[in-house]
Amino acid sequence: MIEVEALTKRYGSTAAVDGLTFAARPGMVTGFLGPNGAGKSTTMRVVVGLERPTSGTATVDGRRYADLPAPLHAVGVMLDARSVHPGRTAYAHLVAMAKTHGIGRARVREVIAQTGLEPAAHRRAGTFSLGMSQRLGIAGALLGDPATLILDEPVNGLDPDGVLWVRRLVRELADEGRTVLLSSHLMHELALCADRVVIIGRGRLLADASVREIADRSERAGVVRVRTTDPEPLARELLAAGAQVTPQKGGVLHVRAVTVEDVGTAALRCGATVLELGTESGSLEEAYLKLTGDAVEYRAAGGVR
Amino acid sequence: MSAAATAPHAARTASNVRSGPTVARVAAAEWTKLTSLRSAWWTAAVTVLVGGAITYLSARASSVDPGFEPLDSLTAGLVLAQVGPLVLGVLVGAGEFRTGAFRSTFTTVPRRWPVLVAQTLAVAAFALVTGVLTTAAGVVGILPSAMSRGMTVDLTADGGPGMLLGMVLFLVGMALLGLALGALLRRTVPALVTALLLVLVLPIVLMLASDPLVGGGDAATMAAAADAPATTVVGTLGVLLPGAAGSLMTTSASAGGMEGAPDLGPVGGGLVLATWVLVLLAAAALRLRTRDVR
Repeated sequence: MIEVEALTKRYGSTAAVDGLTFAARPGMVTGFLGPNGAGKSTTMRVVVGLERPTSGTATVDGRRYADLPAPLHAVGVMLDARSVHPGRTAYAHLVAMAKTHGIGRARVREVIAQTGLEPAAHRRAGTFSLGMSQRLGIAGALLGDPATLILDEPVNGLDPDGVLWVRRLVRELADEGRTVLLSSHLMHELALCADRVVIIGRGRLLADASVREIADRSERAGVVRVRTTDPEPLARELLAAGAQVTPQKGGVLHVRAVTVEDVGTAALRCGATVLELGTESGSLEEAYLKLTGDAVEYRAAGGVR
Repeated sequence: MSAAATAPHAARTASNVRSGPTVARVAAAEWTKLTSLRSAWWTAAVTVLVGGAITYLSARASSVDPGFEPLDSLTAGLVLAQVGPLVLGVLVGAGEFRTGAFRSTFTTVPRRWPVLVAQTLAVAAFALVTGVLTTAAGVVGILPSAMSRGMTVDLTADGGPGMLLGMVLFLVGMALLGLALGALLRRTVPALVTALLLVLVLPIVLMLASDPLVGGGDAATMAAAADAPATTVVGTLGVLLPGAAGSLMTTSASAGGMEGAPDLGPVGGGLVLATWVLVLLAAAALRLRTRDVR
């Protein structure tokens, strides 16, 4: 369980994180989403105690990270794939981490197998591709069998196999009752594995909702799409019923402010032949862009000043 | 469902002793980190070889002197060999920050200070072995010249054991000085430059500054200076530098002080070097404690 409350982190006069409040709960994958520079990584660094908040608090299982008696067992952290000395082998890196908590070499070999690093375990980390570095980072996060995982952009640089593997892994970890906080700047990535999404822009909370709720905020959410051989009479009928109608190409109408049932009844009344009828499902990407659009624009404008 | 799902995790938690970092555990981790770097082994090997080789050459050059005393050449190799432990210390202290490895290190041990203590222990242990081998290489280096003059090298003679111990401690001290500067400055090159300035460059600058010839002094003042070996400000500063103070450990207590400087003796010199190390380590610990690590 990760709780962030009224968290602010300033660097000089710039607020990287500004009054941010959210929680990541056990048994769930919480997606942490925002454009690059929105403050995701800063928030994560504060949560794991690398940086101190200017104000507000960040706790894991009710304690400040630095106060956790056995951090590796409580929280698995992968902040940046390049968190390993390039001259050290993957195995030596993990053994050194394990020794700080009295974890045996058997567990090191276990996470190496689990992350598919066996062929590269005795190679120096400096020779690793970004994808392999990510796997090593995830291996380190899993080492202490923690109840909470914090992963910053874990699919970054992974090949398609690796992306699928991470999605399955975080799903399994959450299903085992663990708390998983996973950041990304790609909405569609999180849509595939997150239960809940926390969206931030310019350090502020923009949305904290389930994936479905976010999708419902899209421009197209709630729009009924109907394809008919007789668009004009149907449009007249719908307008009379108080709907908003936007004609599209190919006899398609986008109808707002009425239900699918209303459109069906209207078609029956005016004798229009309906070829297709249904609600448009909102696109997550659209909803995300709508939410973050203002934040990004403001920043771009601010940069010109 | 969530109760069933969390059950295995809870069971695992209960069956294992899940305790966190202790200084001993972190020291074991830092030892693994240090010895898993090739650069550490290279640095140690070069230190031993350079120490032995320079001592050998110096002894061979001096062996033509009528008053040749083999043990006097024993510390000759240290002038260059001291750079090895300095580099080793800087690599450990600043390497974390240069490479981003600090993120793993300090999320694993978020109280941070045990890491610095553990690095000090690991570097001291590694430098101790390197120091013993370098000193041994020095002893081997003076043997050919001694034998060529038909002299025997008696390490147990007056001041011998103290000198050998001093050489080892001096090299350990240099490694810890490098570590402290690396941990404080967090960047390899500035830390290394600072270390070399303190240990190699400043002593020469101060020596030149205190040389009356450079100061434009005439023969009369030079003679006066020779008559009265009083302590001077420049000379005192010179002996308080970490390298100069540390090298006093490799002299015998009866050797007397440096020119223009108070006679600290081997123990005093060692204490001055230890003070440098402790103050710099304390500053590094304070920076770790009060500042973000980024």
